[in-house]
Amino acid sequence: MSEWEPNILAFACNWCSYAGADLAGVSRFQYPATVKILRVMCSSRVEPSFILKALKDGADGVLVAGCHIGDCHYIDGNKNAEVRINNTKKALEKLGLDKRLRLEWISASEGLRFSEVIKDFTEEIRKLGENPVKEVKGNE
Amino acid sequence: MDCYQCGKCTSICPMRRVSKTSPRRSIYNSSVYGLDSDDIWTCLTCGLCPQGCPQKVDFLSFIQDERQGKEPLDVAHLGVFTEFAELSSKLDGSKPEKSDSKYGYFPGCVDNLGLFLHDVKTDFGEITTSSLKLLDKLGIKPQVMNMKCCGHDVLWQGKKDVFDRLKDHNKKYIKESGIDTLITSCAECYRTFSKDYDLGIKVIHTSELLDKLGLKIDADVTYHDPCRLGRHMGVYDAPRAALAGNGVRVTEMEHSKDNALCCGVSNFMNCNEQTKALRIIRMDEAAATGAKTLITTCPKCLAHFNCLKNEKEPVKNYELDVVDLNVFLSRQLEEK
Repeated sequence: MSEWEPNILAFACNWCSYAGADLAGVSRFQYPATVKILRVMCSSRVEPSFILKALKDGADGVLVAGCHIGDCHYIDGNKNAEVRINNTKKALEKLGLDKRLRLEWISASEGLRFSEVIKDFTEEIRKLGENPVKEVKGNE
Repeated sequence: MDCYQCGKCTSICPMRRVSKTSPRRSIYNSSVYGLDSDDIWTCLTCGLCPQGCPQKVDFLSFIQDERQGKEPLDVAHLGVFTEFAELSSKLDGSKPEKSDSKYGYFPGCVDNLGLFLHDVKTDFGEITTSSLKLLDKLGIKPQVMNMKCCGHDVLWQGKKDVFDRLKDHNKKYIKESGIDTLITSCAECYRTFSKDYDLGIKVIHTSELLDKLGLKIDADVTYHDPCRLGRHMGVYDAPRAALAGNGVRVTEMEHSKDNALCCGVSNFMNCNEQTKALRIIRMDEAAATGAKTLITTCPKCLAHFNCLKNEKEPVKNYELDVVDLNVFLSRQLEEK
C-alpha cells in the first residue's frame, strides 16, 4: 500500500475563496494535492453537521474558507460562520479532533495565500497523523 | 401482536390533535402489509397511547424495533447531534479517572446543546453546575463521568449499530470507574441507562434526591412531565416532592402526570409546524395556571419550550420562565 497522504475537505465560498483557489490555479501557485475543494455559496452555508459527517467518514482535516470579515457578499454571513465554526471546534475539543478543523479568510485576490493555507494545513495534518475514526462494518 | 385495531391509541395520540398520524395505522400497515409508513417516524414516542390500550400493546418497543436500519423521515438541526454521536462512537473515548466515590454523575450532552443551539438563548451548561452544587449540598461528591453520549437519540432514530458501540464503551467505562450509583440530570439519559443498558447498578435522576434540601422558597410554579421521566420511567412524584419539599407551590396543568402532553419533539426529530402547534398548546396550558415559572427535568423539553419563547418573531409572548428543576433550586441556594 502506498504511503498515507492527508485527505482534506475544503469548503470554499463562491465569492472569495473559490475565486482565490481559481486564481491560485491560473497563477500556477503550487500546492499539495491533498485537498478536495467543495464550492458553497457562503461560508455560513457550512453546517456543523457537514463537518462532523466529513470527519466521521474519514476526512483528516476540514477547512472552511470564506471572505474576510466585512467583505461578505451576504453582508454578515462570515460572522455567523465564525460563531458556528468556533462552537463546532469547542464540541470537537472533547473528542480531541479540534485541530483538524480550520477556518480561514481568503479573498478572491489572494491566490498565493490560498496555496500557503493549504500547504500549512497539510503539514499540520501530517503532524497530527491519520484521522483516528475506526472503520466499522455495516451499512454505513 | 395483540392489537385488534380498536383505534383507542389514535384517539388519544397528541400528534393526532395536529396531524393525520395514526398509531393504529402504523401497526396495521407493518403487520398486515409489511409496509413502512411515515407514521412510525411522525410518532413522538411519548408513550401516551399504550396507557389507553385495552390489549396492553407495547407500542414503544414496536416503534423502536420498526425504525431500526431505516432512514429517518426528518431529523432536526440537520442531524448534527446524530453526527456527533456517530463520530464519537467511532473514536476510542476516554478512561475514567481514579476516584473512590461510589457515585457517578453523568451530565449528558448539555454542553453540545449549548454549542449547537446558541439561538435558543439558554445556558444549558448551568444544568451541570447546578446539579453538582445541589449534590454537594446533599453531601454527595460524585465522580463526573466523562463518557460518550448515552445513545438515546441514535437508538430512537433507528441506528442500533451506533447505539451498541456507544453502549459498549459506556458500560466498560462504568465498570472501570467502580461506581454503584449513576446520577443523571437528564430524563433521556435516565431512561436509556435504566431501560436500554442493563447496567446492574442503581440509576437515579437528580430530582429523586432533592426533596431533602430544606430550602424555603416562596414561588408559584407549574411542572411539565417529560415523557422520558414520566410515562417511560414512572417518576411523577419525585420532582413534585422536590419542589413541594422546598416550599414551592406547584399548580398542575390541565394535563399532567401520566396524561401530560408532549413538548413536541423527542430524539431531535419532527421539528415542524405540527409539533410546534403541540408546543403552543402545552405552553398555553402552562400559562393558564398563572404560575410564573415552568419547571421541567429534561434538557430537551427546556430547549424546545425556550425555542418557542425566544423565537425572532414569536407566535405569542409568554411571560413564563422555563427553567430546569436543578437550575431553579440551585439559584435559590445562592440567594440564601
